[in-house]
Amino acid sequence: MFKNLFSLYRPSFPRNIAYMLQASEYDAIAYLKWLNKTKDFSRVSSRKQFVKTKFSSALYYILVFGIVIQIIIGLVVISLGFSHKIIGGQYYGAAVILSYPLIWPYLILFIIELAKYFVIAPRYRVLVSQAEQVFKSHPGKVIAVLGSYGKTSMKEFLNTVLSEGLKVAASPANKNVALSHAQFAKSLKGNEDVVIVEFGEGKNGDIAKLAKLTHPDIAVITGLAPVHQDHYKNLKQQADDLLSIKEFVEPKNIYLNLDNFFKDIKLPNNILTFSDSNVGDIKIGNVEVSFNKTTFDLIKGKNKSSFKTNVIGFHQVKYLALVYLLASQLGLKDSEIRKGIAKTKAFSHRMEPYVLNGAKIIDDSYNGNIEGIKAGLNLLKRLAGKRKIYVTPGLVDQGKDSKLIHHEMGRLIAKANPDIVVLMDNSTTNSIKSGLEDEKFKGQLIIEDKPLDFYNNLGVFVAQDDLVLMQNDWPDNYK
Amino acid sequence: MKKILVVFGGRSVEHDVSIITAINSVIKPLRLTKKYQVEPLYITKEGKWFWDESLSNIETYSSGKIANLTKKLKPADISFNDGLIISNGKSFNSKKVKIDIVFPALHGTYGEDGDLMGLLEMAGVAYVGCGVLASAVAMDKVISKQLAIANKIPITNFLFYQDKDYKANSSKIINEINTNLNWPLFVKPAHLGSSIGITRVKNNEELETAIELAFHYDSLVLVEEEVSNLIEVTLPIIGNEVPEPAYLERPTLQKTDFFDFEAKYLRGGKKGSKNGQASSSYSQVPAVLPKKLYKQAEELGVKIYKSFGLTGIARVDMLIDSKVGKVYFNEINPLPGSLYSHNFQKFGLSNVELVEKLLFFAMERFEQKNKINSSFATNYLKQF
Repeated sequence: MFKNLFSLYRPSFPRNIAYMLQASEYDAIAYLKWLNKTKDFSRVSSRKQFVKTKFSSALYYILVFGIVIQIIIGLVVISLGFSHKIIGGQYYGAAVILSYPLIWPYLILFIIELAKYFVIAPRYRVLVSQAEQVFKSHPGKVIAVLGSYGKTSMKEFLNTVLSEGLKVAASPANKNVALSHAQFAKSLKGNEDVVIVEFGEGKNGDIAKLAKLTHPDIAVITGLAPVHQDHYKNLKQQADDLLSIKEFVEPKNIYLNLDNFFKDIKLPNNILTFSDSNVGDIKIGNVEVSFNKTTFDLIKGKNKSSFKTNVIGFHQVKYLALVYLLASQLGLKDSEIRKGIAKTKAFSHRMEPYVLNGAKIIDDSYNGNIEGIKAGLNLLKRLAGKRKIYVTPGLVDQGKDSKLIHHEMGRLIAKANPDIVVLMDNSTTNSIKSGLEDEKFKGQLIIEDKPLDFYNNLGVFVAQDDLVLMQNDWPDNYK
Repeated sequence: MKKILVVFGGRSVEHDVSIITAINSVIKPLRLTKKYQVEPLYITKEGKWFWDESLSNIETYSSGKIANLTKKLKPADISFNDGLIISNGKSFNSKKVKIDIVFPALHGTYGEDGDLMGLLEMAGVAYVGCGVLASAVAMDKVISKQLAIANKIPITNFLFYQDKDYKANSSKIINEINTNLNWPLFVKPAHLGSSIGITRVKNNEELETAIELAFHYDSLVLVEEEVSNLIEVTLPIIGNEVPEPAYLERPTLQKTDFFDFEAKYLRGGKKGSKNGQASSSYSQVPAVLPKKLYKQAEELGVKIYKSFGLTGIARVDMLIDSKVGKVYFNEINPLPGSLYSHNFQKFGLSNVELVEKLLFFAMERFEQKNKINSSFATNYLKQF
């Protein structure tokens, strides 16, 4: 208790508050939730660190300046109390000083909200409106990539392959909100044949908002899985939100991953669906996955073509098959597509293979949904390794079904039969553990209470020919 | 939860290497297991003992904070009355922990040479690594060579001298070396590891300078012949009665003429090897040698391990004359820097598995020793 109380008055307090705001992406609700459940403010940053940007530094200095002024006022009031100019000034002054941890975490939020309303929002409206004109008048095809998972990878696959024969621009990294697209629009030259934009969905209506901004001609829905369930009412609402793209793109130009999509939903007529077995009338066959590459065949009628990619995972092939179809429709030759597919590789932290001290590591830490878990575990089961090690903190934003989902996750992990499972200690750990127990997991289970220590010291944990799959990330604002 | 005391630093020229071994190769992996309570015990270069959690953080040393910290901290108290108990003072809030296993991570004098092991034997606590006698012999290059001769293990020709004898008869000694040994020669302090103070010499002038340098580190100096057509190899081994060798490793010699401290620890890139392990660029693991020669060196390494009564972990260095295919014993390192975890990792044993195995071997030897009766009832005192 004293330690918790003392943490409010440590010199690091303003930095920790600034970090909490930054890690919550300045979202008032997420920040307040975190703030209210935090007891020890000296331990808020165990997964990531405060990153100095213009905005975060400004907030930090406002906090420091404000706290210092409050302490000075308190000291003045105390001295006035001692000189009998304010009766009881000593007590009022002490109260002023001691109350800063109760005031500034909220006052700074108020300042941010004011800045959002009076500075950021007007600038945002201007930027978005200018961007909408850019997209609307752009002569190239705009491809929207949306879905609960696999968006960034799909966008990168399209970018790599289409660039073999066309002039292509793609929204950067995993930037997928209106403001980032507005910035991206500024970089467009107007002579691109294809513009690829990733649509992020966080709450109902997001897809429609981004579609209005970018005017897509083609849409790829990469898949549906429960994510952001704290903002969506249920999975159906999430599915409806994704399918709202049909109001902006002709159904015949919408491509939907049917694997595990919401079953009780009426799909628009003429929509093209794809799955692990086929993309339209193109069949997928002979999929072979190793630690470095995936090979597969695409069969159309009597024609069979073989492909090789640096991307790993059985589940990735359907996306590459779809890229093949879209590239063909956009006029690329088979040889160009094959060359492009051979160049595709994993995006950072998405089924990204690397070698550490002779061990084969697959970094899938940006995965955040149960479908990605299944795909990863399928790979872990099928690849060879001296010891197989599975590392996860669990999934965030799984809403009211979180316990069930994590129990299922535990069962899936046990079925993949790793030798060691490392769980990062948090609110999902017991559910995963019970799933492991139900499935009679026989390997070694390690519960890690210092995730950063583990990730930073992975090198001492592994040896030659071990196979390690690391999935999911657990930001500090989740417990 | 077993309580493990990791002892490091120490009054040795290898003080800094010991810190890296302890923090990166022992404390970190032990903590990752979540099975042990790991307590860091740091010995300063002056020989003061400190026990504090902050001593397990590498930044404490790299930032230079250690100097201030040791001024603020109370030295640790060690008690041997009921096993090994460590405490940090006698005030109301002082901590006290009874240790189950000690993990010595000291290199060189007052640690790796058997001194600490003697203390731990007296305390009746299990500890990792070689025992008192094996450590002492292994760290004395002269006694090692004499023991090797007794066990019919091939060695190179050598001579050795005490500091005081050399000061009194340096020219006579230089002559004796010239008469009895063939150039080029190696001059080595008799009790140091990590290749500190070792020089390769080709003439009398270099020889005299090298002997002076070696006496700077030790009072006993060894001069030995170089092996022609040299291939240097080293074999890390773990185990008690059944030695388990890892890969035979071959240092890849670059700019310097032989495998010295700088090549081992500092030349892992522009700023050196970040994790403090011997840098991977300096060696070939496993050594690429003809199959027969590899096997011969491996077998000799295991024979040396057994003959010297080594336990827990040790590294056996050997010299190969590649032309005639003969393997010579060079020296033993009873606690290899960073536990040679890079080699074991390649062999398929992670650093975590390695330290856990070493704890197992420590307990195995301790339990075996406890079975031996050390008391005997007599009437001897009654006569007085």
